[in-house]
Amino acid sequence: MVASVAASAFFPAPSSSSMASCKASRSINESPESLSVRGIVAKPASSSGAVQVKAHVQAPPKVNGTKVSLKVESPINEEAPSAPRTFYNQLPDWSFLFAAVTTIFLAAEKQFTLVDWKPKRPDMLADAFGLGKIMQDGMVFRQNFSIRSYEIGADRTASIETLMNHLQETALNHVRSAGLMGAGFGSTPEMTKRNLIWVVTKMQVLVEQYPSWEDVVQVDTWVAPSGKNGMRRDWHVRDYRTGQTVLRATSVWVMINKQTRRLSKIPDEVRAEIGSYFMDHDPIIDDDGRKLSKLGDDNADYVRTGLNPRWGDLDVNQHVNNVKYIGWILESAPISILESHELAGITMEYRRECGKDSVLQSLAAISSDGCDHGSLETGFDCQHLLRLESGAEILRARTEWRPKRAHVP
Amino acid sequence: MAAMLWCSTSQGPIRSPEATPAAQCGPLRNWAGVRTVRCACKAISGLEVAVAATAAAASGEKGAGEKGLAERLRLGSLLPDGLSYKECFIIRCYEVGINKTATVETIANLLQEVGGSHAQSLGFSTDGFATTPTMRKLGLIWVTSRMHIEIYKYPAWGEVIEIETWCQSDGRMGTRRDWILWDLATGEVIGRATSKWVMMNEKTRKLQRVSDEVREEVFVHCPRTPRLAFPEENNGSLKKIPKLDDPAQYSRLGLVPRRADLDMNQHVNNVTYIGWVLESIPQEIIDTHELQTITLDYRRECQHDDVVDSLSSPEVSENGSTNGVVSSSPYVHDQELQQFLHFLRLSGSGLEINRGCTVWRKLAR
Repeated sequence: MVASVAASAFFPAPSSSSMASCKASRSINESPESLSVRGIVAKPASSSGAVQVKAHVQAPPKVNGTKVSLKVESPINEEAPSAPRTFYNQLPDWSFLFAAVTTIFLAAEKQFTLVDWKPKRPDMLADAFGLGKIMQDGMVFRQNFSIRSYEIGADRTASIETLMNHLQETALNHVRSAGLMGAGFGSTPEMTKRNLIWVVTKMQVLVEQYPSWEDVVQVDTWVAPSGKNGMRRDWHVRDYRTGQTVLRATSVWVMINKQTRRLSKIPDEVRAEIGSYFMDHDPIIDDDGRKLSKLGDDNADYVRTGLNPRWGDLDVNQHVNNVKYIGWILESAPISILESHELAGITMEYRRECGKDSVLQSLAAISSDGCDHGSLETGFDCQHLLRLESGAEILRARTEWRPKRAHVP
Repeated sequence: MAAMLWCSTSQGPIRSPEATPAAQCGPLRNWAGVRTVRCACKAISGLEVAVAATAAAASGEKGAGEKGLAERLRLGSLLPDGLSYKECFIIRCYEVGINKTATVETIANLLQEVGGSHAQSLGFSTDGFATTPTMRKLGLIWVTSRMHIEIYKYPAWGEVIEIETWCQSDGRMGTRRDWILWDLATGEVIGRATSKWVMMNEKTRKLQRVSDEVREEVFVHCPRTPRLAFPEENNGSLKKIPKLDDPAQYSRLGLVPRRADLDMNQHVNNVTYIGWVLESIPQEIIDTHELQTITLDYRRECQHDDVVDSLSSPEVSENGSTNGVVSSSPYVHDQELQQFLHFLRLSGSGLEINRGCTVWRKLAR
């Protein structure tokens, strides 16, 4: 059983195969931790217990009493923005972190063995600095965030951008905690050797309730195979206090060559690194397979032009952080919709990245499939397009809206 | 190792008599021969807190336990004398900019956050405006009139900074709030900030003198003797900002507020103006320098449908050159600094929104 489970990580098969006997129910309330029985047993050298501990002690980036200066240790050249890209390199080039982080982990492990510190309640270790930790099963990474005052939108609840930022942060911290931080976001050492990076192609988020200032959300994230050569990363966010679901999200990633921007298969060496982290878990959001159609000037209801990235929108490669796109998508929604409705879900397909000098346009159209948009008492859908002034597509999206309901504290 | 045991009461967290104030857990203490001092201290305290919280919850103080949750996880608290507030923040990956370090907007957001947490821990309003009960009765709110931030070392992703903040009266019309920022790991001061606030009627938007009633409510929580983040003479926070000459050397016209820039009252929030001011800085400065100081005088507020122009010009120092401006701050050593004057105005009418001044230091690449 173990062997077949491990094998399925390397050659992902449809989930209805041999896993039938212990298949998790499709209920999203079931947390992935309950799947630990079926989880891949083979783990990398550092056990999850040790990693758990590391997440605590490593908070101060100090090695042997000297502070590791992350800015100075940057051996990798920043990639210069080149001519048209077809895939969006989502996150910054954290090349310098790998060396620093490994050193920290090793130092922290050594320090920790010197001290007899037994956590009184190991399952509830207060995550003192919000670094998060890999859970007992070694697959799921969990991190808590308290909602800060500047992350609140005009309606006094956390904005969708805030929630998406948390997803981005936990994804990075997951890779870091697993000791798999190579150069570039999520690139493992073997990927870095081959100039391979992950890029996100699709993202889907369903929000059940929006948290308020000072609420604390608990974000769980894990990865799974997607097709033969892709990766899926899912998130389940809950209100820390009540345990209720805040949102669910799923994303699809493909591997491309950083230079040629061509799709790549997952090399065996990379599978050896990450395969053990792939959970055989159904996507947390069912893919209804709906296609996102392309909007044009003729079928758009609302258009907002002249959208410019600001300095604060850019990552270290001077590309626009992909969470900012959501803000621009919403820019073209009329304010009346935003006042009466809340975003229940968003699906995005990433086509192209953009930089500081890009000028964008945001188009939106209310979906006309069976919806009477004269009455907004029920929910409705919108189609969106973000494009450069030249017409090149950055992003297609669909948003689902429902009438605002009173916030349940 | 003293445990920092917290008791949550309905007034917010108070410290038990045995508690060691954070300020005493300095970088000189050794824990198991390792200099990872303050964070280890806090890590333990975080654990103690979780245990204490569960114990408190079990013993029936449920309401207080729930209320204190975010505060505990935030690791912020009033100092034992109750006159200032300290909180730790970890820098998240999306708060980091093109230099791989936190952006000045992130820092400004955190200053705002800790100010709000301070107000909340004192029992002031939780609607984000930190109003006292008297102010709410009279429909008054605080608005910023000046903001001055100096950053000596920007934190990177994953680093933890500690911010202390306090407020005190400032003349008859207003109040000031000061901040000091430390790198938690090294204990070094990485930044300082100060701000001036005046009281305004929320509806009429007219300024109001701070009445004795409000003064009593607010300033009982403030240091009696003046305590300044910038105690040195002739410091940058006192500088008078001239209006820059027309035409400005650099400009970025037609800036518009985004949805995310608006606060709960549909006004543009303070931090957005910082971003707008930086928009007209030329690329060659952005590529080679980092912002050391920003001073902004807020004159007029901006709404969601306004269009804004951002103008900048290099500031000429006394000897006529634009380079080599020497700062009198004790935290800044001799280095080449570039200084700019800024002006934000409404596009159509040209009315001043705010004026500012920035100082940039060369990046050590």
